Amino acid sequence: MSVINFAAREINCKVVYYGPGFSGKTTNLKHVFSTVPQALRGEMVSLATEDERTLFFDFLPLELGTVQGFRTRFFLYTVPGQVFYNASRKLILRGVDGIVFVADSAPNRLRANAESMRNLRENLSEYGMSLQEIPLVIQVNKRDLPDALPLDMILQVIDPVRHYPHFEAIAGQGRGVFESLKAASKGVLERLAQPS
Amino acid sequence: MIEPSVALFGDAYELVNGQLAGLLESARARYALLVDKKGFVLAHREALWAPNPPSLDSMATLIAGSAAATSALARLVGEVQFHELIQQGEDVGLYLESVSEQTLLAVVFDHEALVGKIKLFARRVVAELREILEQAAHSPAPVQLDREFSTSASALLDDLFGKDAGGSA
Ligand SMILES: Nc1nc2c(ncn2[C@@H]2O[C@H](COP(=O)(O)OP(=O)(O)OP(=O)(O)O)[C@@H](O)[C@H]2O)c(=O)[nH]1
Ligand SMILES: [Mg+2]
Repeated sequence: MSVINFAAREINCKVVYYGPGFSGKTTNLKHVFSTVPQALRGEMVSLATEDERTLFFDFLPLELGTVQGFRTRFFLYTVPGQVFYNASRKLILRGVDGIVFVADSAPNRLRANAESMRNLRENLSEYGMSLQEIPLVIQVNKRDLPDALPLDMILQVIDPVRHYPHFEAIAGQGRGVFESLKAASKGVLERLAQPS
Repeated sequence: MIEPSVALFGDAYELVNGQLAGLLESARARYALLVDKKGFVLAHREALWAPNPPSLDSMATLIAGSAAATSALARLVGEVQFHELIQQGEDVGLYLESVSEQTLLAVVFDHEALVGKIKLFARRVVAELREILEQAAHSPAPVQLDREFSTSASALLDDLFGKDAGGSA
């Protein structure tokens, strides 16, 4: 077990994967878990139902290293996407620093993408936060589906003014996973440096 | 950035450790942790005879998650909060008790311990911990990070995630 120096200041950044149920949030985390060297990540914790749908959250801590004397870490969480689990989603959003919004390219999920984005805004506003102050990147996942909707059509319903960076992904094959996470993490670091 | 709500340094940290160690000894428990409700381990002690503890990050996150769910549940049924929680398996049990608004005591025990003793000693220690935290704990002073921090941290991100960020899509 590693020795923890509790007296040292730590910088811990919380990145939350949001999006409709079944869009591939947990798949993103699994890919990160299986790709990042063991020394730089902790264990992945998943609270899921029997059929692997997220019930409460997935959690994966990543170790960035020491920066200016601060032990710097990223805590990755996924929320349960199913509409039903909003109370859990709200708990996970508390203290969020950055968001990867995982949208689903399946034709029958267009509406679910839009509703999840609206739900995100509502839940944030309950904590007195808004997307104005939290870096968000959009990951348009499942681009491998034969009937995947055109990118523009999906962005049109979740980000009509094209405010957020977006990435196409096939999380199931690990594609686009690190691009999205890296962009969200950089957004978080940018904000940390801004005088508040 | 999420930070522990309690900064536990120096003497206060030593006092808390002393209490946790005392608890392990008197109740014959495996591990005792003071956990921040945001999911950080503030202090922890393990008995010499106990097997290696599981990942502390995982424990702290799950304890915090479970506490958050339990307190949401308490409010739902019209309670301010539930005070303690005991969970027992075949071999191992977990005792949770709220210490302050921000912190929890978690005790992991096995057949070496009697549940009654765990409860009794844990309650005493919680009272002591409350005292220590009230005296000494203060919210951590806000850190002001500069552009240089972002730049160096970004460079480490490149190491962690790969410069071309996986480079596939
Ligand atoms: N075709 C395809 N399937 C994918 C892709 N990514 C994930 N999936 C599949 O989509 C299903 C749901 O993935 P999860 O990662 O569990 O979805 P989630 O967003 O965590 O779902 P909830 O936990 O219910 O919110 C699984 O069967 C995955 O294998 C992808 O890029 N392409
Ligand atoms: Mg999931």
